[in-house]
Amino acid sequence: MTSHVLEWLGAYHDGELTAGRRRQVEDHLRDCSTCREELESLNELSSLLKADPPSLRTSPQRFAAHVQLRLPHQAARSTRRNTGQLPRWVLGAPLALIGIWAFLQSALWVASLVLAADWALGPRVMFFSNWITAEGWLGSMASLFLLHAGLLIGTAVLWATWMAFWWAWKQNLNFELSSNQIQKEV
Amino acid sequence: MTSTYGTIEEVDDRDLIACAQRGDRQAFTELVCRHQNGVIGLIYRMCGDPQQAEDAAQEAFVRVWQNLDRYKPQHSFRSWLYRIAANVALDSLRRERPSTELGSLPLADASAGPEQSAEERQRAVQVRKAIARLSPPLRMVLILREYQELSYQEIAEALDIPTGTVMSRLSTARSQLRQELLVLMEEA
Repeated sequence: MTSHVLEWLGAYHDGELTAGRRRQVEDHLRDCSTCREELESLNELSSLLKADPPSLRTSPQRFAAHVQLRLPHQAARSTRRNTGQLPRWVLGAPLALIGIWAFLQSALWVASLVLAADWALGPRVMFFSNWITAEGWLGSMASLFLLHAGLLIGTAVLWATWMAFWWAWKQNLNFELSSNQIQKEV
Repeated sequence: MTSTYGTIEEVDDRDLIACAQRGDRQAFTELVCRHQNGVIGLIYRMCGDPQQAEDAAQEAFVRVWQNLDRYKPQHSFRSWLYRIAANVALDSLRRERPSTELGSLPLADASAGPEQSAEERQRAVQVRKAIARLSPPLRMVLILREYQELSYQEIAEALDIPTGTVMSRLSTARSQLRQELLVLMEEA
């Protein structure tokens, strides 16, 4: 006979074993009276426990009415969502955009400073300028300025779009809440 | 809600929760009606006093309402609900009956129905006393499994413990109960 499966009997009794383990326990139970008795004892215990249903003093409707009376007013509950803390993504996404814009700005300013220093040191040094070439996209201050302006305008447009979406979402939420209120009043 | 789904009784729990999260009290009341027996039962078996259990169950549902926006639909609602109920039950045990002997619950239960014989009532009281003598962590796991019929995973989520701990606590609780109730089990 294989070793007992006592440690799995509780989970077997509760229907919590995987299919493979369940078959293993069932195979063992066919041949092992000790484990069968143990399982029988678990079943008896469950039957004994379940023979004592809870005795409720209050009817379900009355209990629900008591709960209703104790609920805080709806406005207090929805404050957090409507006027207090904004959802994290509303603030987080624009902040991430600003962060990206600031990073790009800094990177471009550093690059332009390096190039300026390179030019100031004269034609014998000009390591970076020769490397990038004068016709490259970073070759002139004018193109750098245009790039900065483009980034700024793009970020502003994204920001405005984002806020418009958020405003529309908030209006929709308010509409749903007021619809619920109207439905209850009706 | 009635225009979309027919009667509110036909609405799925998930839809009721979504409505309640938007502030719909009618939907929340339906949730209370559906789950009150489980919540009252859990607290009653934890603290042993029907009136205290109903008061605490009301408090549990108020906490559910106040925290509904924190509930994530991808988790089991029952686990989340019973987590709150379990906390309220433990708070209630600490607050209301700090010095009461758990084994000294009343022998006569006035709320028992007339159809229950004296012998059955006596047996029920012995079972309740045996459960009351378990330590609160063992008692909680046993009640959630045997009476509320939560899965091990749901119990683990409700009590924020590993599934292995659920199994070991359940095994210990059953072992202690079988020793306590040996005579009753043999009679049955």
